[in-house]
Amino acid sequence: MSSALASLATSICYVRLAVRDLDAGARFASDTFGLQRVGEQDGEIAFRSDGRFRTVSLVSTETESGSIGVEVWDEAALERAAEQLGGAGFPIRRANKDECERRYVEAAWLAKDASGNSIDLVVRPRQSGRRYFPSRDAGIVQFQGVGLRTIASARDLAFWKILGARVSDWVGDIAYLQIDELHHRVALYPAERSGLLYSAFEVEGLDQIMQNSYFMQERQIKILQGPGRESASQQIFLHLQGPGDSIFSYVNGMAVLGEKPRRPRQFSLSNESLCNWGSVSTDVPEFRAVDGRV
Amino acid sequence: MIQLKDVSYVRLGSPDLESAEMFATSCLGLEIAERGKKTLYLRSDDRAHTLCYSEGDPRQQTVGFEIEDEDDLQTAAATLEALGHQVHAGTVEEAEQRKVKAFIGFRDPTGNHIELVVRPERRGRRYFATRDAGITGFSHIGLNSTDPVRDERFWTQVCNARVSDRIGDIPLMRVNAIHHTIALVRAPAAGIQHINHQVESNDDVLRSYYFLNEKRVPIVFGPGRHPTSGARFLYFKGPDDMIFEYSVGVDEIEDEATHRPRQFGFEPPSLCMWGARPSGMALPDSNA
Repeated sequence: MSSALASLATSICYVRLAVRDLDAGARFASDTFGLQRVGEQDGEIAFRSDGRFRTVSLVSTETESGSIGVEVWDEAALERAAEQLGGAGFPIRRANKDECERRYVEAAWLAKDASGNSIDLVVRPRQSGRRYFPSRDAGIVQFQGVGLRTIASARDLAFWKILGARVSDWVGDIAYLQIDELHHRVALYPAERSGLLYSAFEVEGLDQIMQNSYFMQERQIKILQGPGRESASQQIFLHLQGPGDSIFSYVNGMAVLGEKPRRPRQFSLSNESLCNWGSVSTDVPEFRAVDGRV
Repeated sequence: MIQLKDVSYVRLGSPDLESAEMFATSCLGLEIAERGKKTLYLRSDDRAHTLCYSEGDPRQQTVGFEIEDEDDLQTAAATLEALGHQVHAGTVEEAEQRKVKAFIGFRDPTGNHIELVVRPERRGRRYFATRDAGITGFSHIGLNSTDPVRDERFWTQVCNARVSDRIGDIPLMRVNAIHHTIALVRAPAAGIQHINHQVESNDDVLRSYYFLNEKRVPIVFGPGRHPTSGARFLYFKGPDDMIFEYSVGVDEIEDEATHRPRQFGFEPPSLCMWGARPSGMALPDSNA
């Protein structure tokens, strides 16, 4: 069995974000954040950030609660993952043709983790023949991954382990999950409620993190944390207030872990572990080291 | 031509040495080399000192440049006198105070007090910081100029400085491979506009940004990045309103023979390509 099959999940391929005001959300995504708007079908607006056909969709809170897309290796892996998740007691069902079309994928199973976060397992997400061409020079390279809120850490971790994810490091009970060579593509943050915490987009370098930081300050877009640097993953970040209560993040420089087996390291839940530069989030409890949350 | 090798030290007067020491150690991160009754010597690299405070008027500001040897010192004195600069030959006692073998003092055309020194002392023991700011050494100064075009002529024709880049009429000048050692700043009177220390990494610049903010040290420009030298920077205000800079990643001019100064327009992106705006600090070209 190849190592790729050892991890059923091969990429985090999209985020479908439910927002109250679709138009305002779409303006933020393209004009402010720098994604490329590519289309709209059935009230769902699609955006690109890289070679994929779309990585972000905005859906209306009236019809949907949103989901994240996890690409699995192939159809056989998809069936196996679905069977194992179902067997472990996670709600999961096969997506119909219409649901697959909305997700720009060939086949999918729609699952929920123990917190109730909607996670789509998909195969063959659509690529685009044309390169990504944004309306603003934010320096976005790719959609990188997500942070998820969890109200059932152990069970949610079990969900991701079935998909082949491994814990790369811990900060308190925050779990960074590795599915490929990057330190993490998914991070599980213990929280008071479930839901998507942030969507992270890799930019070219520190220059773009800082340029975007000043760009947002000038436009009075709320910076929730950063510029900062995660101690465990070495990733530089800038977390922004997106539409509704969403968080959009620019990131760069995450550690690439080699093939060599390594044990997850435990960092204390402290502001220093969350940002070694010294940035602190005043607004997002998950980004803060608050007493009693450990 | 006077061959400057490197910038050597800055001497500053201050009415309150205690505050100066507090800032230098707990904020800036220098090492105390020696503490006299009315003097404070500070280290930032393997030199015996690169910054010296002495009790007095904060308008007393001096920059020292290293030159090759005592013969060159004599020649330099003659050159400067021939041009009408009054030259002060340092006494043995004054040289000891500066931890150099010999020196002369004079004023540049704007009136900045400059010293040329021979054999500034180094220390066998490495620099050991009082706080982990990541400082690797004292690197350059911003120097006030009442007439940048005239002063550029002085530094490049009487001395050996070369222009690396210009922002408007303001030259950034090097005396060795490092992009600039002297940055002229248009100002109404003589003085040191800023004192630069290099740090190890981007991380140090950003860490210091949050650290100094917490210490309520006024950040006057940055974090940012100069498109001229490529350096990531942070400017902040110390005692007696002196501005200090941390930076990292200053370019080196690789080919001395073929380098042509680039011309940047006098506009904010020429000073910071990230979008930072100076506040509480004079711009190089402003007639403040």
